[in-house]
Amino acid sequence: MIEYLDTHYTYVLAFVLLAIGLYMMIANENLVKKVIGVNLFQTAIFLFFVSVAYVEGGDAPIVPAETNPGELLVASPLPHVIVLTAIVVGVALTAVALALIVRIYAEYGTLREDTLREVRADE
Amino acid sequence: MSDALSEAIPVLLVAAPILAATLPLVFGLRFDRAGWLFTTLTTSSLFVATVVLATVVYSEGTVIHQLGGYPRAYGIELVADRLSTTIALLVTGTSAGVLAYTRLGGPRGNTFYSGYLLLVGGLLGLTFTGDVFNMFVFLEITGLATYALIASGDGPESAVAGLKYLIVGTVGASLYLLGVGLLFMATGTLNMIELAEAIPQAQGGYENTLVRAAFAFVFVGFAIKVAQWPVHAWQPDAYQHAPDGVTPLVAALVSTVSAYALARVMYTVFTVDFLTQTPYAREIVITVGAVSVVAGSTLAVIQRDVKRMLAYSSVSQFGLVVAAYGLVTETALVGAVIHLVGHGIMKAGLFIAAGVIALGYGARTVDEYAGLAARRPVVAGGMAVLLIALIGIPPSVGFVGKWYIALGAVQAEVWSVAAVIFLSTMLTLAYSARLLEKMYFTPANWLEDPHAPDADVVATDGGSGPGLTRQSDRARPDAVSIGMLSIVVVAAVLAVALGFSGDLFYDWLEPFVSEVFN
Amino acid sequence: MVENAVTDPRPLAAVLVSAIAVVLIIASYRFPNVREGWSVVAALTKFGIVLSMLPGVLDGTVYEWSLAESTGLEFVAGIDFVLRADPLGMLFALLASFLWIFTSFYAAGYMRGLDEHAQTRFFAAFAASLSTALGIAFAGNLVTIFVFYELLSLVTYPLVAHNEDSEARIAGRKYLTYTFFGGGVFLLAGTVLVYWLTAGVGEGTLTFEAGGMSALAEAAQAEPVFAQAAFFLLIAGFGVKAAVMPLHSWLADAMVAPTPVSGLLHAVAVVKSGAFGVARVILEVYGVETIRELPLNVPMVGEVGLNVPVAILAAFTLTAASIIAMRKDHLKRRLAYSTTAQLSYIVLGLSMLHPIAVFGALFHIPAHAFGKLTLFFCAGAVHVETHTDYVSEMAGIGKRMPLVMSAFAVGAAGMAGIPLIAGFVSKFYMMIGAGSLGGSYWLFALALVVSGILNIAYLWPVVYTAFFETEDRHDAKPILEFPLGGQRESYAAEQTGDDSLATDGGAPQPAGGGEDEDDEREDEHEYAVDRYPSDHETHDKHADDHHDHGDHDDHHHHGGPPPGGWERRSPLFGESTWLMLMPILVIATGAVTLGVVPDYAIFLELAAYIVETATGEVVP
Repeated sequence: MIEYLDTHYTYVLAFVLLAIGLYMMIANENLVKKVIGVNLFQTAIFLFFVSVAYVEGGDAPIVPAETNPGELLVASPLPHVIVLTAIVVGVALTAVALALIVRIYAEYGTLREDTLREVRADE
Repeated sequence: MSDALSEAIPVLLVAAPILAATLPLVFGLRFDRAGWLFTTLTTSSLFVATVVLATVVYSEGTVIHQLGGYPRAYGIELVADRLSTTIALLVTGTSAGVLAYTRLGGPRGNTFYSGYLLLVGGLLGLTFTGDVFNMFVFLEITGLATYALIASGDGPESAVAGLKYLIVGTVGASLYLLGVGLLFMATGTLNMIELAEAIPQAQGGYENTLVRAAFAFVFVGFAIKVAQWPVHAWQPDAYQHAPDGVTPLVAALVSTVSAYALARVMYTVFTVDFLTQTPYAREIVITVGAVSVVAGSTLAVIQRDVKRMLAYSSVSQFGLVVAAYGLVTETALVGAVIHLVGHGIMKAGLFIAAGVIALGYGARTVDEYAGLAARRPVVAGGMAVLLIALIGIPPSVGFVGKWYIALGAVQAEVWSVAAVIFLSTMLTLAYSARLLEKMYFTPANWLEDPHAPDADVVATDGGSGPGLTRQSDRARPDAVSIGMLSIVVVAAVLAVALGFSGDLFYDWLEPFVSEVFN
Repeated sequence: MVENAVTDPRPLAAVLVSAIAVVLIIASYRFPNVREGWSVVAALTKFGIVLSMLPGVLDGTVYEWSLAESTGLEFVAGIDFVLRADPLGMLFALLASFLWIFTSFYAAGYMRGLDEHAQTRFFAAFAASLSTALGIAFAGNLVTIFVFYELLSLVTYPLVAHNEDSEARIAGRKYLTYTFFGGGVFLLAGTVLVYWLTAGVGEGTLTFEAGGMSALAEAAQAEPVFAQAAFFLLIAGFGVKAAVMPLHSWLADAMVAPTPVSGLLHAVAVVKSGAFGVARVILEVYGVETIRELPLNVPMVGEVGLNVPVAILAAFTLTAASIIAMRKDHLKRRLAYSTTAQLSYIVLGLSMLHPIAVFGALFHIPAHAFGKLTLFFCAGAVHVETHTDYVSEMAGIGKRMPLVMSAFAVGAAGMAGIPLIAGFVSKFYMMIGAGSLGGSYWLFALALVVSGILNIAYLWPVVYTAFFETEDRHDAKPILEFPLGGQRESYAAEQTGDDSLATDGGAPQPAGGGEDEDDEREDEHEYAVDRYPSDHETHDKHADDHHDHGDHDDHHHHGGPPPGGWERRSPLFGESTWLMLMPILVIATGAVTLGVVPDYAIFLELAAYIVETATGEVVP
């Protein structure tokens, strides 16, 4: 168990981050903080992707082979490409989310979900 | 048709709407009303292209396009087989049809049409993609466009509904991404066809923990996107508060294509063997679906707002589809696909009808629908036919889907699901009949009656009869165009006519299904 | 006799005639005469088409039309959409289309007499119901019959909810719930099970075969439990419309519908489609042999035939419903419970599986139809002319409506199975069937006898009160609720006060029900309801609005004799419009014809032919 944690601590970190993001999303009343929670959640997944990309005994595809294969940790490029794309998607999402929040603030004058619920119930 | 040309069609179908999405913005600088025309031209040519593609698929089999010519080991494929072409036909047809409503019914503005085309592009990408990561990207493009379109409503409520959907939807897509990551860890590939071969060869085969965990994440992710109970909460808000012109599109297509994607991943990537060999995989899928059927219709019965009621009905109908996926029989899969298409057409028609009624009659709640049949016979008739088709009374597409799913459940000898499917008729009847009764057998002036059971309607309005005045204040009868009515009628006619096409559907999907099951 | 199937579009045409009429009726909604004309034309055409197939069918030809043969497409994979005119289908089709002709005249008279609203919807839905009823008759497999069975539930709903008040809406809700539970749940489940069972032993099939589906017989050997489950699901599915207890209560509530609907649909087309479905299941899906070979293992009792539970339920229903009928004061409700009982005769006869009993049951389909239709038409005529709905208000009404009440007496005798009327013949054969089975089947014969007596007990008082009692001196009704020996009553006592006060609870209403009939007396040939159609209409509306949630009986209580008692009218003129009298007389004559010379009425021959093809035994 300890040994596993020692070699795979990035996984643990990623999932701790994931849980924090999820908790923020659910428990925080502030809409902006909720969106930060979403970002955290996504980022945790990106980190997870990057950390699984290391290939044991891997070899760089274009640069000539290492003299001692496996001595150096080589990462597979595919997950990195994926994460790059996913980050772009995440940025777009954040932009849309913030735009919506700006509109909600303009309409209701609040960013807190509990206040928002009260305001809407009154209508 | 030459191979090169037919291979290019899937790419065109995905790329054209996304590129065209910029045009309304560009031309919008000069022309105010260019958006609708552009979108109509684009979606109808997309529809024509899909029909051409369907004929190619019919005569020559699956069309595969490798983007940039890279092999599938690291390239991205677009696959047009019988299943994806069916869904593409639904997507392009519906998106072209809904425009008949938005021309006068709104929302207007060129930005709206940019979002519209983006959504169509995302949906088509989701339909054709042969790569699981690519699927995530299109899932998010679809999501982004949907969030924006939902929030484009006039009221502030729509922004709140949009944000709610955004947060929940992103979690769903992210969970799916996590599942993809685990699959990649186990197999080292992202292409669907390669995955299907690689998963059994992974360490431990189907018992590999990574593969099982991946399935769990992917399923939960899609369950959110498809709006299955208990993760459906975003959907009623989103459908209710979205502009009337957007709801038909979103309700008919977004969840439908997500449900299609779930089928694609379950059957093409994980394959039938995985589903049958993994303990409790089928049972969990079936339970989620069956519970959604019951919960969705129960919640639908108690709604006051018609659009919200129809939204809960979607939860229930998609429950039927998901339960059918879990049955893992050929007949049930065919039934699920037919029900996806049928439900898409019926819900599009119903939401357009709800929009027309809100526009021309000012009625939004079930109570306000009283006496509608006498004043708006055409739209009420169309809505009645669509509701009856939704219940699954033959001949209608609703019945065909239900028949195959029920037969599949009996073949699989899963009696509890069979019971839920048969009882779903009654559950659907419960909320459909409520609306039918209001439209046809409740006089319009019953709200004015001081002894009406619905006392709080009167109370909130304060005084006798203002419920009606307020309702008619909202109404703009001249805003209802022939185009809007005819699209409702077309949907109703399609829902009935497709009721005779059970055999046609079966023959069309049979090659795909038998390939999946061998 | 050898069956030879012939492809022929006539079964389809017979179904479509009234479907086309629906379009024409809606299109001509501005012209009531043209609209009712379409009904009559469609009814005649339909009957003509059905009749033209009769000689062929009796010679052993089966006319068949199928979707696959016409278009190359099946309805759903493996199952065709087939309409075929076989003897059993002909029996039902002939009956429904023949009676529709007279009902369409009667309906025109009734709806105009009451100046009802939404008449176009009414006539359109009526024509559509007949279309689907013929579809049920000619359906060639279980899916086809399911399609029309569901459609029939759907198109009769507007007729039940016709009044658009809360009572009608509640009845409509109940109607939809019961019928769709029967059709959409039980019947569909049974159909799917049968398809699955037959697919287990070869090609899946649902096509009816005289004497039972051979594939199903084979499958029942392999999977007896599922075969039994499917049997009960199918019987329950059809049993809902046949109003077998405990699934009967929609029928009495559906009586809020206008009387032509109660008459043709809720005594003939709709409920008989249930009984007809039971006949199809017993004779042509399972077959008598297969049912006998599938005994149920009941704890404590041992093995009993699959048919026995059905027969017990039917016997219970026919006794219990008769007893309930005696307590009903509302005439149409009393008739509804009588229908419930009479339909169970059919189900009982079929489920005894003896050829002669089956023969009797099949003949009871037309026999009951003629008798009950007469009764409903009479009840409707009384309602239109005098607004009297309750038996307790009918003392002496024989003076006012001599011809109608005489026809009522004929119908009532038929229900009770008195010789020379149709009901006797069918009951006679059923008793013989029960007797020849022997064993404990004598209990069923006993139930038939008891029910016959009960029939007299609940229908005779109506005739008696109409002809042999007077307004001033009559027994309080329903008789069961008052001391034995009767309790003397008189309407005069009730009418000393202001009667508008009694009828609509203090609402200002200058023209009470009584004055309506005062006017009536002055003019022999024109009636108050015709001249002032709005009179009673506003009256009704008013009551609806104010008593929406109160006792709905309130606003019906403006019936009964006018002050001074019923006037005397000649049986030939002025009793009612001939639009209503003519159908009553024709149907009542039909009931007598079926009873006196059953051999010449085609139904007996058809029934014998059906029994012969289904069981292989020749019955008299």
